[in-house]
Amino acid sequence: MRNQLFKIVVLIAVLCLVLSACGPKVVPATATPVQANDTPVPSSPVPSEKKIITIAWTQEPNSLNRSYSSMWYMSVLNEIYSCSPWQFDENNEPYAFMLTELPSISVDGLVVTMHLRDDLVWSDGEPITADDFMFTYDMITNPANLVDSVYPYDKFIVSASDPLTVVMTFAEVFSPWMSTIWQGRIMPKHVLQPVFDAEGTINTAEWNMAPSVGCGPFNFTTWESGSYMQFDRKDNYWGTPAKLDSVIFQFVPDDAAQTAACLAGDADVCVWPPYEDIPAFREAGLNVMTEPSGYNEGWFFNLRDMATPFIKDLNVRKAIAMSLNREANTDLRLKVVNVTETFWDAFPAYVDPGITPWPYDPEAAKALLEASGYVDADGDGIREDAIGNKLTISEANTTKTERQSYQALAQQQLLAVGIDLKIYSYDSDILFDSFSAGGPAATGIHDIYEWSDVPAWPDPDSSYWLCDQVPSDANPYGLNYFVCDPTLDALFKQEVVTGDPAARMAIFHQITRYMHDNVYYLGIWEDGDVWILNPRITGAKFSGVTPFFNISEWDITQ
Amino acid sequence: MAFPTTDIPPVAIARIEKNQLTFFQLVWLRYKRHKMAVAGIFSLILLVLYAIVGTAFTTEAYSNVTDTSIRLRPPSYEHPFGTDTVGRDILSRTIYGGQISLMIGLIAMAVEVVVGVLIGAIAGYYGGIIDSLLMRFTEAMFNIPQIPLLLVLGKLLADKVPPLNLFGREFSGSVIIIIAVIGLTSWMGLARIVRANFLSLKEQEFVTAAHCLGTRNGPIIFGHILPNTMAPIIVSATLGVANAIISEAYVSFLGVGVRPPTATWGNMLNGAFQYIESAPWLWIFPGLLIVLTVLSINFIGDGLRDALDPHSLVGSE
Amino acid sequence: MGRYVVRRLIQAIPLLLIISIVIFLLLQSSGDPLATMGGRRTVRPEDRARLARQLGLDKPVYMQYIYWLVGNDWVKIDVNGDGIPETTGTRKGVLRGDFGTSLVSRGRSALSLIGERLPNTLILMIPAEIIMLIISLAVGIYSALRQYTWVDQVVTTGSFIGYSMPIFFIALASMYLFAVNFRKWGLPYLPTVGMFDPKVGKTIGQVVLHMVLPIFSMSVVSVSAYSRYVRSQMLEVNNQDYIRTAHAKGLSERQVLTGHALKNAAIPIVTLVGIEIPFLLGGAVVTETIFGWPGMGRLFIDHLTRSDTPVVMGILMLISVAVVVCQLITDIVYAWLDPRIRYS
Repeated sequence: MRNQLFKIVVLIAVLCLVLSACGPKVVPATATPVQANDTPVPSSPVPSEKKIITIAWTQEPNSLNRSYSSMWYMSVLNEIYSCSPWQFDENNEPYAFMLTELPSISVDGLVVTMHLRDDLVWSDGEPITADDFMFTYDMITNPANLVDSVYPYDKFIVSASDPLTVVMTFAEVFSPWMSTIWQGRIMPKHVLQPVFDAEGTINTAEWNMAPSVGCGPFNFTTWESGSYMQFDRKDNYWGTPAKLDSVIFQFVPDDAAQTAACLAGDADVCVWPPYEDIPAFREAGLNVMTEPSGYNEGWFFNLRDMATPFIKDLNVRKAIAMSLNREANTDLRLKVVNVTETFWDAFPAYVDPGITPWPYDPEAAKALLEASGYVDADGDGIREDAIGNKLTISEANTTKTERQSYQALAQQQLLAVGIDLKIYSYDSDILFDSFSAGGPAATGIHDIYEWSDVPAWPDPDSSYWLCDQVPSDANPYGLNYFVCDPTLDALFKQEVVTGDPAARMAIFHQITRYMHDNVYYLGIWEDGDVWILNPRITGAKFSGVTPFFNISEWDITQ
Repeated sequence: MAFPTTDIPPVAIARIEKNQLTFFQLVWLRYKRHKMAVAGIFSLILLVLYAIVGTAFTTEAYSNVTDTSIRLRPPSYEHPFGTDTVGRDILSRTIYGGQISLMIGLIAMAVEVVVGVLIGAIAGYYGGIIDSLLMRFTEAMFNIPQIPLLLVLGKLLADKVPPLNLFGREFSGSVIIIIAVIGLTSWMGLARIVRANFLSLKEQEFVTAAHCLGTRNGPIIFGHILPNTMAPIIVSATLGVANAIISEAYVSFLGVGVRPPTATWGNMLNGAFQYIESAPWLWIFPGLLIVLTVLSINFIGDGLRDALDPHSLVGSE
Repeated sequence: MGRYVVRRLIQAIPLLLIISIVIFLLLQSSGDPLATMGGRRTVRPEDRARLARQLGLDKPVYMQYIYWLVGNDWVKIDVNGDGIPETTGTRKGVLRGDFGTSLVSRGRSALSLIGERLPNTLILMIPAEIIMLIISLAVGIYSALRQYTWVDQVVTTGSFIGYSMPIFFIALASMYLFAVNFRKWGLPYLPTVGMFDPKVGKTIGQVVLHMVLPIFSMSVVSVSAYSRYVRSQMLEVNNQDYIRTAHAKGLSERQVLTGHALKNAAIPIVTLVGIEIPFLLGGAVVTETIFGWPGMGRLFIDHLTRSDTPVVMGILMLISVAVVVCQLITDIVYAWLDPRIRYS
């Protein structure tokens, strides 16, 4: 018995060795390196005649119906197999895609008209018409469907005067319409209407998980849960047929695996790698492309009733702004990013040119605190106010490692001027929990919140500072975790209904100036998209709004 | 009663045969036969000294000092273990982190022992419906796999407790939570063993005698029966410390453990695997310390198990 | 025996009920699935309110539990938001086999999500368990029979070290060595993540290749622990009088081993196997996460971090049921192996 056992064990061990020896071997390509260095460029391990690229994705989409998912990883992947009336190019400028021209707006700004091209077809040959737009609108606004968001489809009505014209009528002027409507959402009526008729909802439609019929340059073929998704080129595409044969999205568990995949050549495209890895990518000859996406990382100051009196003191906020060495802290991103000042730094035209950034001046900060009555009486390094309360501020953000590192830096820098910064981090679904569930952001228990966010990019609208968005028992999901300032509230309410671009810009100048002088928001750095591309891919350009806008042009050199 | 006499000095043998050795001396003699167990004691003492005495050489404030200009530096004279992603000295972080990790291990073990012994003792002694209920509950908890339960509890509770101030130092509230969570998910095995022992011991004559004398239940449980079942409790406690340290490492690695800035060996490993190649000192030092500590404790536990168990006198190691 | 089985099964019901209540309560307070919905932007209040109503998350906790257990097709719910319940619910509840729909992948049933990943976990864990068992048995028995030799000492020390390492340490170290560095040094290397290479497809060769590292990592820890247990059981049995008698009667070592020792040592080993099997289903959460294996462990942690109660409950209940069933089977096998054990 013992001998038999031993034979089995030895057999298994030998089997393992043999199998590992049979793994695919990498033959370092001696192709012409991109930079004039000697490191061989990683090449695809499976040489084949088909043009296939692999994109490493660290999150798996939860649905393939754009209306059922708000994940960035889904909305970007969505562009491959679906279509939008207009798209945004690498300068984030809109251009007509499914339309003959960009939509026209009526004089009073309430009616937007879209003219569809006459050669649009779904992958099964059915033409795409205004009916599909109407159907999509109906599905999104129907309460039986568990769509992610009805905004802003509840602000307008859609009608079709003929099969190629779609008209959207707004109740009042809504400036951000171009960046918030129709992107990747068009659903095929002829496929989903029967499902809706049978079940009363499209929640359980197979098309949501396996979109057999699509209108984009690639067709969906496979989705192996947890492993990968594959899209193959569509030959009867109404636009310019793609050059690649297939695009594979491979799901990797985390950033480290993503980096390893790109460095080894297993994946051709990676996105948002840790900044530490960028030099390694450059050394390996990969292309590093950055694209502003409107996102900025920043500190939001909470001035609601439950915040400490310290944070409500403008002088303390100014002192905080001057004691953070934001420039040096960009070391965390290898100094590749710029420090931002306002929430709208991605919209330079909308930012008041008269704003001067807060300097890094700890001495001035200390002087300001002294003059405001915060003195370190007991010599422990933390200032106290007149009554003896210690100057303590609490700051919260998510559990992302980079943010926790920033917290540690900020803590030390504020300690140097005598402010005690207590830091907290939460998982995002706990941080943004509702008011009734005691979510830390909604209930305002911290004085400063840090995360990365964007206005309605590429539109500057934002609802963060509207007074009716303040969370309360009546409004448990309100978004305004920060401050209800009547002046600011009035300005925001005004800008969203202002149609004239010049007038809108003027309002935003006021907004940015006001928020900067009152230190309601402090920019940390810009949080753009970083794409890593294997140099065998040519023709790729990225947009900050619709990243894969020119996926049809991508090609690979063999 | 014959037992191997090769390693025991003749003087000791004589004393054994004359019943002159106390229980503890006997246990120590048996324990000494395992060289690895003795080595375990030495290395554990060294590690504990490292965590405690190290504080004389560096302050806690220093372990939190950040300086991004020296981030991710390899080991050097000024920073013998290198620096981490924000420029903190890893050596001092392992010292203070070690204190927390060891403290978590000890206190979690205490929680586990208290809960396990109480439940096992009460279930075993009273029997009947109390036993049924408690054992059903134990089975229910036992059937839930530990790691997922740790994750669920860690996620649920980790943010709910504010930071505390003890001995002039500040700890993230999640330390308490992790201690409670680990302690409350590992008592089940001990409860079963204690209950089994109580079931058999309560039929013994000395217990009947105590009843006759009118001793109340409490003193019988804790004064009479419990001391006779100390052996598995001690072994379980020792191995419980090792288990707690590893569980803390797991949970912190997955991100739901002790929250920064409080350092522990486990959460120093979180995120360190980004730099598995480029900065191996980030994970090698805390990892090695965890392995050494757990290894020592496992050796000690194993040695104790053999030393305390009278049945193991004959032949087994 | 039949009555015993029936009694155990009946006793299992309150057990499972308690487990489900405990876990449900824990999950309720651990985050809001609608807080971020996976996106980067904060979610609009109107949408959160609407989805909370549509998904039944605005009901009190005990009502949510009842709907989870018995469904809501016996009440009317308010679908269109006017405050008046008008539509009958569609959920049948767990007792009728409906584990609900995922809160994250809205529209998909929790069972279908679990069913997709379950085969992958089994493909990984069953060979892993078999390999670990065989190696532990071999090592443990050999070690027990060759007690105090240098092989035994090496194995003992090795097991201690293996047993003391956190599994992610081993997993990452082995990935670093065999996958990353071997590739750099031009040696035949193992793949890092996933179950197979999408370009090649889900072939047996690919899957086996990708299984090697995860199984290796899991084995180091488990084999260390099991082999020590096997060894101590074998030693205990070997020191019994009847073994000495068998030797004295002149039976060869092999006959003693197969005829007497192994059978008696088998009982505690059966316990071990019985306990381990149901945890096959939980997968090894950490191992699957590190190696990117698309199994139930990874599903669990992905959906736990997004507070997807139906899926998480589904997985944990499945494991609990498996544990209960396996414990019962283990006890029956006990009785078969050891004639001294009789169940009333």
